Amino acid sequence: MGLELKNVSYSYEGGTERVLRNINAQFESGKIYAIVGESGAGKSTLLSLISGLDTCKEGEVLYNGKSLKTLDRDEYRSQHIGVIFQSFNLLLNSTAVYNITLSMNISGVAATATEKKRLAYELLAKVGIDRETADRKILRLSGGEQQRVGIARALSHNPAVIIADEPTGNLDEITEGEILDIFAKLAHGEGKCVIIVTHSDEVSAAADRVLRLVGGRIL
Amino acid sequence: MYLLEHAMLNLGKNKGRNMLLLGITFAIITAIVVALSIFNATNLVIEETRTSLQSAVRIVPQMQTLGETGGTGGGQMITGQAAQNQATFTAEQFSDFANSDFVLGWDLQDTPRGTDAVFYLVSPLLLSDFEAELREKGLPENYAVRTDEAAFASIVAPVESLQSLAITFLAVVVVLGGVIMALLSVIAIRERKYEIGVLRAMGLKKRKVAFVIWAENVIITGFCFVLGMAAGNFLSQPISDNILAGQILSNADGESTATTLAERLASESADALSTENFSENLQIDILINATTALQILAISLLLASLVGIISVSQITKSEPIKILMERT
Repeated sequence: MGLELKNVSYSYEGGTERVLRNINAQFESGKIYAIVGESGAGKSTLLSLISGLDTCKEGEVLYNGKSLKTLDRDEYRSQHIGVIFQSFNLLLNSTAVYNITLSMNISGVAATATEKKRLAYELLAKVGIDRETADRKILRLSGGEQQRVGIARALSHNPAVIIADEPTGNLDEITEGEILDIFAKLAHGEGKCVIIVTHSDEVSAAADRVLRLVGGRIL
Repeated sequence: MYLLEHAMLNLGKNKGRNMLLLGITFAIITAIVVALSIFNATNLVIEETRTSLQSAVRIVPQMQTLGETGGTGGGQMITGQAAQNQATFTAEQFSDFANSDFVLGWDLQDTPRGTDAVFYLVSPLLLSDFEAELREKGLPENYAVRTDEAAFASIVAPVESLQSLAITFLAVVVVLGGVIMALLSVIAIRERKYEIGVLRAMGLKKRKVAFVIWAENVIITGFCFVLGMAAGNFLSQPISDNILAGQILSNADGESTATTLAERLASESADALSTENFSENLQIDILINATTALQILAISLLLASLVGIISVSQITKSEPIKILMERT
């Protein structure tokens, strides 16, 4: 897997000021990257571009040598990328386990419905969600539980790249450690590329490389 | 398959919103059932009346200088005594006239004016051909071959009025109903912006999101179609009877001041052409046949699809991140 940012610049629609300026970076398999910076530095915008949720105005995001502008970005998101959102972005009226199986269905995971459900329970258990909690609607879960479900969903289709926006922001220290262990296992054990936007020193310390964003540039 | 399952699950949630959509869709489909079934039934009545009455013709005296205006016959006809003063034809002459490829059968009738005959044509469209043939056989110029327009009009006028009301009502219901459904659906979709943003962020393609919304609309419409067919079937007949009764009354008021010779002639004749009590006994049986049901289903699905397209086009043109950021 190869993920590369080439001269990426971005400004919001109708705005003239660039949020990101001429960003160049390479992300490799088997490593954890932490993107740090002040609020408004453009960290979340950068994640949106890497995850194919938005497109850059100048420059290119290359996945395995191909520009996201030429790739089917829906397929890119559903097959190759797992995104953990800061605000979770789960289907609130559905159960935790349904959120996971739906993600599997969208990604075209080859398994029977029963098998997918079993895998979903397993994934949820891996991030500390028991079966009873898994069968509850997202609305009835705490912020921390929702964050764990978001992480399980991002892993549901076994993506090559995991992108996380403040994944431990709603978790206590113990859980934060557990989640970091999961990320370390995914990167160093399973060869995934993990990119995390964070304010946490613990997360930065666990990363193989730290990218510092200041005023839309990587220092 | 999972998209349909997702659509079904969505219907189970947000019950208040879906019940509102269900109620309005049900009302619209019921109105469409009533309007379309009345329209189709009146079409059938007009067609049948045209075939049965306009195929029956008789020879009537016609003078340009005498009498009152016939009104419905197209030319001027003499009336009353003037008509009685005209020469009539013998049974042999009528028999000779009836000996034609255009005639299916004929009836000889005794009237106060003498012997008369009714000819039943193969088709009402052959009237001018038949008249031309009679001229060749010696029919004088002051006689014309006429259908019983008065009988036709007495039945068709109120039915046409009913049909016109039905089609106007149908148009209003489809247009207004479509607008209401579209507005409701757009509002409902705005409420679901977040959900759609999440699905798009997970990589669900726009067309698949559209399919989910469309499937939900179609499931609601399908359910309302069944209910609407039952309710419409129940309501169509009494609504049709009430409107038709009103139309017959207003038609009779108009006609009472302009009785034509054709009506008088017809009232003296045998059952086949009698206009007497035609409209009073007129009843239209509203039956929803397979064609009508299919038309209603097609209109309903078209409405559901259009509404789905309008609402989905509103939501899927944005990048998923914008939808999610708006929510955040």
